[in-house]
Amino acid sequence: MNKQLLMVFTAMLLLILAACGQTSSTDSKASDTKTEKDEPKIASLSIHLTNDLLALGITPVGSVVGGELNDFLPHVKNRLKNSTKLGPAKDPDMEAVIALDPSVIYIDEGISGEDISKFKDIAPTESFNLDEGTWRDHLKAIGKLVDRTQEAEDFIADYESLTSEVKTLATDELGENSKVMAIRVTAKELRVFTTKRPLGPILFDDLGFKPAAGIEELDSTQPYEVISQEVLPDFDADAIFVVVNSDDKAQTAFKQLEESPIYQGLNAVKNKHVYVVSDQPWLDYSALGNKLAMEEAKKLFSK
Amino acid sequence: MKANLRSSKTLTVALALVLINVIVILISLNTGSLRIAPLEVVRTLLGFGDNKSSLVLFDYRLPRIIITMLAGIGLGISGAILQGVSRNPLADPGIIGLHAGASFGLIMFVTYFHSLNDKAALLIPLFTFIGGCLTAFIIILLTYDRYKGILPIRLILVGIAIAACFNAITLFLSLRLDEDTYTFASRWLVGNVWGRDWIHVIALLPWIVILTPIGILQSRKLDALSFGDSTAVGLGVSVLRTRLSMLAIAVALSSASVAMVGGIGFIGLVAPHLARRLVGPRHQHFLPVAGLLGMVILVLSDTVGRSIFQPNAIPAGIVVAAIGGPYFLYLLTKTK
Repeated sequence: MNKQLLMVFTAMLLLILAACGQTSSTDSKASDTKTEKDEPKIASLSIHLTNDLLALGITPVGSVVGGELNDFLPHVKNRLKNSTKLGPAKDPDMEAVIALDPSVIYIDEGISGEDISKFKDIAPTESFNLDEGTWRDHLKAIGKLVDRTQEAEDFIADYESLTSEVKTLATDELGENSKVMAIRVTAKELRVFTTKRPLGPILFDDLGFKPAAGIEELDSTQPYEVISQEVLPDFDADAIFVVVNSDDKAQTAFKQLEESPIYQGLNAVKNKHVYVVSDQPWLDYSALGNKLAMEEAKKLFSK
Repeated sequence: MKANLRSSKTLTVALALVLINVIVILISLNTGSLRIAPLEVVRTLLGFGDNKSSLVLFDYRLPRIIITMLAGIGLGISGAILQGVSRNPLADPGIIGLHAGASFGLIMFVTYFHSLNDKAALLIPLFTFIGGCLTAFIIILLTYDRYKGILPIRLILVGIAIAACFNAITLFLSLRLDEDTYTFASRWLVGNVWGRDWIHVIALLPWIVILTPIGILQSRKLDALSFGDSTAVGLGVSVLRTRLSMLAIAVALSSASVAMVGGIGFIGLVAPHLARRLVGPRHQHFLPVAGLLGMVILVLSDTVGRSIFQPNAIPAGIVVAAIGGPYFLYLLTKTK
């Protein structure tokens, strides 16, 4: 009887030892990512900061991944091939951060602020409050740190000219002073976006749409509020941006919504001013994310 | 003569388990995103390592492993006590509904405190303990018979029913949490070692260090209970009081452990079974061995979960179930 137990334990130990062998092969290459010598090795603990860095032409040596995706965001994935995944921002893989031996760590104060001392133990840490100012401010701040202020200015200028283009297109399509709202359909619920990031700034500040009735009354410290379908008509929007998650459940939920009489009675729907957009890059409130979203908006309105 | 034989056998088994534990812990310390060679681990532990290794070991790996060890002991002993108290080899803190109560406590905690990292973390075991006590109280209330005291057989059936009820409430409450907290809660419920800071070690340590010896000191009374209630009374044991106090210890041990490592089932079931096969049914032998086994199983499972599917760690609870389930079935078919 004891021999059997011994066997079981040996088997377990073997399993573990095998597992150890595997780790050695997988993470060996992680840290020798190609970075030029004078460039700082940045570990980014926010997907948005990562994309701000990418906008400046800097690839962080490691970055956290999108929590739901468990991967880099799809629109920047191919640019981060050589970067190490550091786990989700809410629960980063600290050992991976240490293993990277970064020269500087960028964190989002709102997510990792509590753990800042832990990061400081590893490397000098720059904390950004992404709730303060727009991505332009974050981009400029980063530009200063990495000595690329000119790139930051150029990027912003590009964005502004693209924006004014899209603005004209949008006015042609929707008319002056159109009232707009953005909603998100998830498997579980229907959400309406407030004037806060991710969608508030690009729609209401950059593109200059008027918030639909009641949008401004929503709690602007939160990105969205959950609403019931019945109140959709109350917003009286001329155009609606709909973010639909790519998962099947969300798609089905959106189909159900589309079939409902309430939805079909909406002015925006009748006038065919519903714009279905994907969650990425639209919900990626970063320099790069908003730029890509704006490019998509251009396509949406030039149809 | 026989007793002596048993004692020395227990000692051998315990020593063997301690040895296995040391090996498993060393392997576990060696496992992670940053690879540190075993020799380097030992050197760092002795204080000669470089900065990076000591940062990883002392700030990240060691607290987690200590938590896993403590929780393993807690769950193993808690299961062993419950099996003794209920005189039923199927008793396990998960099955009997204590985990469900503890989960309920944790969900209450995250709903009101949100933060899990600062000083408030010290309160988590307390909340899960209150949750565990609540279920235990309801279970006892429903299994208590005025003439016969607590009916051991009913204990489990009622426990299963209570577990179902509490799970429903917990699920309902967790649906109202925001997405991130919900993700945390759902991972926690399947048994994810999330406590990784020294503060979590401090939160768990006193529960295990104080309650484990108390439990083991009472093992004679558990032995008496195993002869049946009337014999136990004949041996001078106050059946009801023993049952209640032992139950309280089991609840406290399992709730505190569960607070840090999530609702890991099966350890409380498998560890006592293995222990009984190794050293026989006397509690003074088999309680400590069950604790040691619980420790081995949990540390092993956590290590496997962290290493095999890198970088995506899978919760230790799933590994325990994946290894423990088939093994337990094997055990059941082997022993008629």
